[in-house]
Amino acid sequence: MSSPPASAPLAPRWGWLLASFVRREVLNRYAGSATGLAWTLLHPLAQLAVFAFVFSHVFRVSVPPGYPGTGYVTFVAIALWPWILFSEGLQRGMGSIAANAGLVRKVAFPHRLLVFSAILGTCVVHCAGYVVVLAALRIAGEPIRLAALPMAFALLVPYMLLATGIAAFLAALQTLLRDVEHVLQVVLQVLFYATPILYPASLAPASLQPWMRWNPLGWFSERLREVLLHGSGPVAGDFAIAALCVIVFAAGLWFFERLSPHFEDFL
Amino acid sequence: MTLLRVPEGASVPPATEAAPLVSLRAITKDYPKVSTGGDRLRTLAALLFRSRDIPHFRALDAVDLEVRRGESLGIVGENGAGKSTLLKIIAGVVRPTSGEVRVRGRVGALLELGSGFHPDYTGRENIYLSSALMGLTRREAREKVDAIVEFADIGAQIDEPIKHYSSGMVVRLGFAVATALEPELLITDEVLAVGDESFQKKCIAWLEGYLAQGGTLLLCSHSMFHVQTLCRRAVWIHHGAVRMRGSAFDVTREYLTYHEEKTGAGRPAQRAAVATLPHIESAWTERADGTAAATFRQGETLVLQGIAFEPDDRAPVLLFGFVRADGTPVYGSHSDEDGYEPPRVAPRRFAFAVRFESLALLPGKYRLRVHTLDGLRLFDTFEMDFVVTGETRDYGLVRLAHAWLPGRGRAP
Repeated sequence: MSSPPASAPLAPRWGWLLASFVRREVLNRYAGSATGLAWTLLHPLAQLAVFAFVFSHVFRVSVPPGYPGTGYVTFVAIALWPWILFSEGLQRGMGSIAANAGLVRKVAFPHRLLVFSAILGTCVVHCAGYVVVLAALRIAGEPIRLAALPMAFALLVPYMLLATGIAAFLAALQTLLRDVEHVLQVVLQVLFYATPILYPASLAPASLQPWMRWNPLGWFSERLREVLLHGSGPVAGDFAIAALCVIVFAAGLWFFERLSPHFEDFL
Repeated sequence: MTLLRVPEGASVPPATEAAPLVSLRAITKDYPKVSTGGDRLRTLAALLFRSRDIPHFRALDAVDLEVRRGESLGIVGENGAGKSTLLKIIAGVVRPTSGEVRVRGRVGALLELGSGFHPDYTGRENIYLSSALMGLTRREAREKVDAIVEFADIGAQIDEPIKHYSSGMVVRLGFAVATALEPELLITDEVLAVGDESFQKKCIAWLEGYLAQGGTLLLCSHSMFHVQTLCRRAVWIHHGAVRMRGSAFDVTREYLTYHEEKTGAGRPAQRAAVATLPHIESAWTERADGTAAATFRQGETLVLQGIAFEPDDRAPVLLFGFVRADGTPVYGSHSDEDGYEPPRVAPRRFAFAVRFESLALLPGKYRLRVHTLDGLRLFDTFEMDFVVTGETRDYGLVRLAHAWLPGRGRAP
């Protein structure tokens, strides 16, 4: 069959195409806007400011006892950026096929590169923002261990594999069923509050705790706090979660590749 | 009147032994009909579980096609006939519903010029992006970027965002990228139609050079002139199936006739279809004594006789050409060159004759073609086959007058 080469996950000859796509993905964000890339940092900062004001000044939420000397802003910031990474990656990845309909209809290339580049582009932009914000908080006197950053990013790898797997699944589904994006918005909103981002997992009602354990996003957000604030090293659970993420990634990609030859029929 | 029209292939030796570059067997493509959400859900389930039971319309129906290395095949047909779907299947953009596709070699597909371009990027940046899409590596692209810029001939604007380009400039850039890929098989879908006259000529010149160097071309076009100029063979796709295949001239002629008939439906006159275009009404070969013949002895005199139809009632320009049965051109000439004007024998009808004294062709099968010509456009092809007999141990196509002499023994 002369279908787009779909066998190897990333044949070397497509590596450059992926790099070009990622570059385009990143450059597109500020192409045509005056302040450019700054917006991609300003948006999460504004979100952070709102949460900080509402929760620490209106509701007067205090930082849980497990994190002495840590401000609420730091506590939220550590989990907020990965969440933005996840949710934005998911949305961009899901929309990547429709956004590049012109290419999918006319050029033979592995469609999964579009999903990958949407995720990678999001990573490039928000990981940079994450580092900047963490460094700024450290300078402001927050007890963030910058030496633990490599471990934090090691945790983000399976996390983004999870996002890629789900995004690939949703992108294929979205191409055939247009409702997916609306459903995703609702799901993401629920998931945001169901994940211990604005609060520690220990604050959730005891009856919900066992359920929340099953949310891999919650695991990552708790672990990132432990790593960046306590300097925790890898634990057994990390590997279990990473294995789960790899399975989701493979399953999502399988589903995507199954439907990918038919995308042109629906665009 | 003798009309010797051997069916295509009968007198042509079997094609080269090289394995086909493209081989399609019974290709069928169904597009799902999805108007409601329910349709979409059902289609999704059908695709996942590989069942075929979904509402669809058939874009291609059991199409067989073979393209060998070095061949140039034209694809003609009405809008919506399935030409683009066929090209997309060969290019690997679309997977057929059933049937077998085999494509070997490096394929360059120009299904839409500039489809990989981003309007905010400069021409140069877009060259890199679209060569990445065509499967070039970064190093290959870097080596070729200068040649691409030169071919596109856009000037200093190459470093400006292409949203400021005219559509013709975008097309030039797209074609330039495709030329740099040096594909073994080049697929083009109606891309010559865009771009100005001089760029079209440049593209055609490039395509001719590409074909001369052994390139393989699949050309889909509504311009019969381009198909005739660039393609030896053609296929006519009609309602998703092959309606006719054969030499490019035969297929384009039939296709034009079909269109003439379609637009002029109900007109009573027989062959009213072609009556608006200049064409050869009849032509035949005869001996010096005026008897019709299709077999000549080597050295005998051959006379080509015929009647040309010219709607404007002006003496037409005629062109004849001899080819060997395998298609090798032997000789051809214009009536223009000799200032010849055929006599008018009836309204809009002109009788012509060409006499070939002591035919120099070596024994073998030949084909004689006659065309009416209007500027650069070939309107019509009339072919007749004939055989030259004789006993000779000479090689080649023609006997050149010569004499063996005693040698002088030193250079001048």
